[in-house]
Amino acid sequence: MSGILIDPGKCIACRACEVACEREHGRSFITVFEFESSAVPLNCRHCEKAPCIEACPTGALFRDKDGAVMVDVKKCIGCEVCLLACPFGIPEIAGKVMVKCDLCPERRAEGKLPLCVQTCPTGALSYVEPNDFSAGRRKAYAERLALRRSENAPGL
Amino acid sequence: MKVPVVCPYCGVGCRLYIEQTPSGYRLDYADDVPGIPNENGSLCPKGNAVLDLLSKDRLRKPLKAKEEGKFVEVSWGEAIKEVAERLREIARDDPNGLMFFGSAKTYNEPNYLVQKLARMLGTNNIDHCARLCHSSTVAGLKAVFGAGAMTNTYRDIERADVIMIWGHNYAETHPVGFRYVIKAKERGARVIVVDPRYTRTAWFSDIFLQLYPGTDIALANGLMHVIIKHGLHDKEFVERRTVGFQELKKTVEKYTPERVEEITGVPAELIEEAAVTFAKAENAVVTWAMGLTQSVHGYDNVRAVATLIAITGHIGKPGNGASPMRGQNNVQGACDLGVLPNVFPGYQAVTDEEKRMFFEEFWGTELSGEVGLTTVEATHEALKGRLKAYYIVGENPVISEANSKNAVKALRRLEFLVVQDIFPTETTRLADIVLPATSMLENEGSLTNTERRVQWSFKAIEPPGEARPDWWIVSEVGKALGFTGSGPKGFNYRSAEDVLREINACTPQYRGITPERLKANLAGIHWPCPSEDHPGTPLLYTERFLTPDGKAHLAAVEHRPPAETPDDEYPLILTTTRYVGHFHTLTMTGRSELLRKRWREPFLEVHPGDARRFGLEDNGWALIETRRGRYAARVKVTKAVKPGVVAIPWHWGANVLTNDVLDPVSKIPDTKACACRVKPVGEVEARRILEELRAEGVVA
Repeated sequence: MSGILIDPGKCIACRACEVACEREHGRSFITVFEFESSAVPLNCRHCEKAPCIEACPTGALFRDKDGAVMVDVKKCIGCEVCLLACPFGIPEIAGKVMVKCDLCPERRAEGKLPLCVQTCPTGALSYVEPNDFSAGRRKAYAERLALRRSENAPGL
Repeated sequence: MKVPVVCPYCGVGCRLYIEQTPSGYRLDYADDVPGIPNENGSLCPKGNAVLDLLSKDRLRKPLKAKEEGKFVEVSWGEAIKEVAERLREIARDDPNGLMFFGSAKTYNEPNYLVQKLARMLGTNNIDHCARLCHSSTVAGLKAVFGAGAMTNTYRDIERADVIMIWGHNYAETHPVGFRYVIKAKERGARVIVVDPRYTRTAWFSDIFLQLYPGTDIALANGLMHVIIKHGLHDKEFVERRTVGFQELKKTVEKYTPERVEEITGVPAELIEEAAVTFAKAENAVVTWAMGLTQSVHGYDNVRAVATLIAITGHIGKPGNGASPMRGQNNVQGACDLGVLPNVFPGYQAVTDEEKRMFFEEFWGTELSGEVGLTTVEATHEALKGRLKAYYIVGENPVISEANSKNAVKALRRLEFLVVQDIFPTETTRLADIVLPATSMLENEGSLTNTERRVQWSFKAIEPPGEARPDWWIVSEVGKALGFTGSGPKGFNYRSAEDVLREINACTPQYRGITPERLKANLAGIHWPCPSEDHPGTPLLYTERFLTPDGKAHLAAVEHRPPAETPDDEYPLILTTTRYVGHFHTLTMTGRSELLRKRWREPFLEVHPGDARRFGLEDNGWALIETRRGRYAARVKVTKAVKPGVVAIPWHWGANVLTNDVLDPVSKIPDTKACACRVKPVGEVEARRILEELRAEGVVA
C-alpha cells in the first residue's frame, strides 16, 4: 500500500501542507515543526502494524481498502487509549471523538494524491509504495556512483 | 467547470483552478497542464489561501470622502465624473501636478491603460511599486546587458551546477520556484547563499556567505578579485562579448579576500572557495532579490553582480544566467507596459524623438518628452506642495514606502487622491474617492511572471457588489476625460482582449502575444515574441546583448557603506525581511484566517550576544528606534543574525523605521540597512506604541 513518505531534507517550513489540509478538513492533520536549520512535517504514518488499531477497545479504528487508518466516529467513545498507543502523538480529541489524517479518501477515489502531497512545493512529501521508493533511491544512488566514474573517464 | 487562473501572489505565476460548486467556490491544483511554472500544480501557503480573498470586507461601491476616512457611497457615474473633472482641472494648469501609480498586482491591460491615460493627459509622472523592489535591477541590468529582465527561466535554474542566491530568501519568498533549486541539488548542484541572515534558503547552502547588510559590492569585488587572480574568468567570452575588463581588473585588484573580510564580515577562505566554485562551474545561475536591490547603491550592487556573471561567461546558454526574482505576480508586465516615468510600452524611451513620434501618431495626441517622477520623488514633491493629485491603482504606499510616516504626510498634502483597490487599506483612508475594483480571480487578462512568461488568467468568480475590472474603470475615466477617439486614439474598449490587441500593435516584445494564442496555450509565451508565428524566447542573449554595441558593459564599482552606519547613538544595523505566509502590506494575506493564525505577528531577530548587551529576552518585547520613527515587536533571540544586526519583517508597518534616502540612478530607497537602537519594553507599553502608530495609519 502507498504511504506518505516525508523527506525533512527538502522541507522549507512553508506550511503549505497545513494550510491545504485545514482548508479542506477544517483543521490540519499535518504539522510542520521548524528548528534552527531544518524542518520536519509530521502526520499519521498509517502504520502497517498500527498500535492505535490494536489498542482501540471499541473497534472504531479500521483500515480502508487503500490501507489508510480511519476512524468510525459512531464507534469512537473518546477514551484516548489511541493517544497513548501512538508513538508519534498523532491522534487528537476534537469535541468528544478522536480525529486524525484520513489520507483524503475522496481524492484517492478519483485517483488523486492526498492534498498535502499534491500541494507540497518542494516535493518533501510523496505518496508512494515504500518498495517503489526504495527501489528508486537505490537506482539514483547507483547512478551517482556511475556518474562519478564516467567524469574521470577520458573521452566519454 | 474548472476555470484556470494565475495565482494573485508572487512572481512565480502558478496556475490553479477555481471551480464553482453549489456551496461556493473551491480550489483545485493544476496538475494536468504541462509546462507551467508550478510543476505538478503545487502551491505555497498563500496560493492555497486565495479563496480567502472573498472575505466580507471587500470594497463594493464607489466611495466619496466627507472628511478623512469618512465616506459616503456614490454611483459609478458620479465617481467617474468627479475623478475626471478634478484630473482635468489640475492638468489644465500643469499636467505635471498629476501623478499616476500603476499596479504590479493587476493585469497587463489596465497597466497599459493607466500609463496611456497619464501620457495622454500630458505627463510622464507614472510609476509603480517596482520602484521599491527591482528598479535597481532594471537600471543595473540595462547598463550591463542592455535590458532589465530575467535572462533565463526556472528550468535553467534546475539545469545549473552552481546556484548563487544573493540577498534573496528564495525558499520563503518564492517557495514553488525553490523546487527548481532543490531539484538541481538532488542532481549534485552546489548552492552558494549570500545573506545577512541564516535563512531557510541558507539551510540548503553548501557555502554560506553571511555578509553585513549593504556590503554587497565589496563581496562581489572580492569574488571577482579571486577569479581574476586565479585566471578563472572565461577569457574567450570576456574578449569576444564584453567591454571594460581592464578597468574592472584594476578596480577589483584592491579587493583582496582579507580586505573584503574586514568590510563584509565573511571569512576570506569562504570568499575564495565561493569564487572558485562559481567560476569553475560548467553552468551557473545567480538569483537575487531585495537584499541586493533595496540599497542606496542598489544600481551598483546589481551592476557588480551582473559583471561577475559576465566575466565567468555564465549567461546566454541553457543552465546559466541572471535571475532577479520578482515579488508580485505582474511586476514584469507593469514594467514591460511602460508603467515607468522614463519609457513607453516596450521600454521605448520617452526622450527618444522617434519613439515619441510613433506614440503621438498612435494615440493621436501630443506627448511629453520629459522623464516623469518616480514614486518616492512624487512623495517629496507632494510634501513641497508641487504635486496636486495622485491616482493610485492597487497599491498601499502608506505601508510599503520607506520612512512611511513621511509618505502619509505627503498624501495628506494632496488636493485630490483617488485610490482604486479591492479592500479598504491604510491608503484608501486618505482618499477623496475610492473606486472598488475586482480581484484578479474576478476578471480576466494577461500577466507576465518573473521569467518573462505571459499567461492568460480567466474569470472564475463573480465580483462583489458593484466592483468593476481595472481596465473598465480606467477606460471609463479616460472617456470621461474626453478621450473618445476611435481605436488606439481613445478609451473605447469592450474587453481586456481589445486592450491586449492594442498592446500587440505598439509593444515590439509583445507583438505576437495575442489574446487568442494565450487562451489556447495555458503555459503561456515568453517575450520577446515578435510575430504571431514566433514561439517566444525563453533564453536571452545567446548571440548578442541588447546594448547598442551588443556587448556586456562590465562595471568597475567601488564599495561604499550604506547611507547610515551604526554609531554610539544607534549602534545596530536594522534589516527588513518577509514571512512565507504573508504578502507585502497584508492587504490580502492579512485577511486570511488560515495565514494569520500561522504568521501572527512580527518578530525582531536578535543575536544572543546583542540580546544580553541590550537586556532583551526571548519572547519579551523590544522598542526599536531609528532617526525616523519607533516601533515595537516581540524578540526572537537567534543566531540566524550576526552580532550587530537585527531583522524584522516589514509586512505590519516596520517601514516607519527605514531610511528613504535614494539610490541616485534607480531612485530605490535604502530599505535593507539603517542604523537603529533597541531596548526592552513591557508588553503593555509596546502594545500602546503600536496602537498609537495604528491610529496614525502607518501600521497594519
